[in-house]
Amino acid sequence: MSSPAPSSAFPVSPAPRGGLVRELALIAAGLVLLSFVIRIHWMADFAVFFILVLSFDLLYGYMGHLSFGHMLYFGAGAYGAALWLVYGNASALIALGVGMAVAAAMAALWGGIVLRTHGASFALINMAFNEIGHFLVQSPLAAYTLGEDGLSCSADPLFGVISLHEDRWAFVFTGSMLLAVYALLRVLTRSPFGILVRSIRENESRVQFLGYDTFRFKWVTFVIASTIAALAGALFTLVQGFVSPRVISPFGNVDVIFAVLIGGAGHLGGALIGAAVFLAIKNFLPVMIPELSRWLDVKLPQWELWLGIVLLVIVFSLRGGIVGTLRARWRKSRAVEAGA
Amino acid sequence: MIQTVVYGLTIGAILYFFSVGLALTFGTMHIINFAHGMVYTLGVYLFITFLQALGESFLLALVASLLAMLPVAWVIERFVIRRLYGESLDYAIIATYGVLLIGTDAIKMIWGTTPHPVNDPIGIALPLAGMDLPLYRVGIVLSAFALYGALRAFFKRSLVGKVVVAALEDAEGVRCLGIDVNRHFSIIFVLGSALAVLGGVLYAPISTADPYMGFHILLLAFAVVIVGGMGNLNGTFLAALALGMVMAVTGRFWSQAANAMVFVVMALVILLRPREAH
Repeated sequence: MSSPAPSSAFPVSPAPRGGLVRELALIAAGLVLLSFVIRIHWMADFAVFFILVLSFDLLYGYMGHLSFGHMLYFGAGAYGAALWLVYGNASALIALGVGMAVAAAMAALWGGIVLRTHGASFALINMAFNEIGHFLVQSPLAAYTLGEDGLSCSADPLFGVISLHEDRWAFVFTGSMLLAVYALLRVLTRSPFGILVRSIRENESRVQFLGYDTFRFKWVTFVIASTIAALAGALFTLVQGFVSPRVISPFGNVDVIFAVLIGGAGHLGGALIGAAVFLAIKNFLPVMIPELSRWLDVKLPQWELWLGIVLLVIVFSLRGGIVGTLRARWRKSRAVEAGA
Repeated sequence: MIQTVVYGLTIGAILYFFSVGLALTFGTMHIINFAHGMVYTLGVYLFITFLQALGESFLLALVASLLAMLPVAWVIERFVIRRLYGESLDYAIIATYGVLLIGTDAIKMIWGTTPHPVNDPIGIALPLAGMDLPLYRVGIVLSAFALYGALRAFFKRSLVGKVVVAALEDAEGVRCLGIDVNRHFSIIFVLGSALAVLGGVLYAPISTADPYMGFHILLLAFAVVIVGGMGNLNGTFLAALALGMVMAVTGRFWSQAANAMVFVVMALVILLRPREAH
């Protein structure tokens, strides 16, 4: 069975009240700070990726189901929204709803099938569905999706004034969506429902012995995680105004899995930190390395090699990711103080 | 028609060469080994380099690349795979994927990203029913059958083979008999890697070598291992040939759908099979 991190890292007791507001303020402040560091043009893309990573953390970190096919639902959201904008009308909010509804329906249907498997089979059957979805938009549905060429679309400004093609508004809109998703997931994961989902990760048979129909809980969680991924996909479409089969490519799954693991699976804040670190590796190393190699006058490898090394380090000496490791260290130092 | 069958069997044969190692690693150690794709790709690139250095002798370059890859496979086993034994599935995936990324990037750095074509080493085509059938493809199919026979004999007769078959059933039980299971797993890992390199080299003349070739065959090989029954050696052979045929037949009528159809079959198999233990 796959259990991403030691269970002791996640206390079941609820956090003190007011914690949620503080955390949301912290995230908002972090986003604003980040927007000063990097070009604001990128911020909407970053926020979309953050949402996607949060949705995957629910499925993998909290429920313990590693999927290699989460991009199917991101892609379904992106294509659902894009197809509505092109063939329906130009309303951004309806497009968002359509993208999410399409993905939710798919997840409801496929979830009933894929959740009958565990472990490696679950990871790979999701990959199979993702591959099939990728193929569908590329070839049989090419009459509507225009295949490899991709589909351009644009939405009317929200409420007549907020144009999502303006970087600043796009950032504000996707950023507030991110805060909403974070709040939703935080409430959900701390609710009795969330505790049950985490119990399924730890030991599904025991939860069944307690009389719960674990399949139903897994199915609901799967649909929620997929729908949030679709929200990220639909936001991507609205902000970019363009989708191509790359948004539904199974290779994208790896990025999401690694972002969650770098930060620490099963912890929403960890997922966000991991996503930020991953984006830093992915976006800044390819820019920095050519300059560094020109400066040092040696040929340096591209970013993939460094990401590979980071992954090996995580597996062999930083279990639990950044957040998990820091927590363990903090707990240890507190225990030492208490002992002294 | 015959051409389609031979093409399907060729793809199936290559998938078999590649999947044996994957199935053995999964069956014995419960590790989904992404690094297998890197071993495959690196082997082919070394082969191309040796081919130029050793005067275009296909066999000589093949042997040289196999020998060169043995220590690489051993290092991966010793320093990555062995440390993952008994770990959860996802950590093994991530670590081996890290190895795949490092290898792919190193290959891009050393050899560049442009695809390298390789010449057909036999270059004779059999005229058959009004069509030309490359003798080389027939050779690949025959060698896969030979490999199947050899592996059967190996696992039935040799001591190492017997230990591994027992460990596929119950690794802990074998360990309790006082047998150093790790050493046997290590031998099997290197053997599986060598077979992947062999498959890659055999496939190179009818495809082209590019740094991401390992990623593509990995996805298909996962399907083979799942359909064949995760560590079932006979099943892997049958599944590889069957999925090769699925690709060839689909490709004949609808070339873009060839890969997707493999995954449709894989999904169906997972659904229709009784629930597995892990």
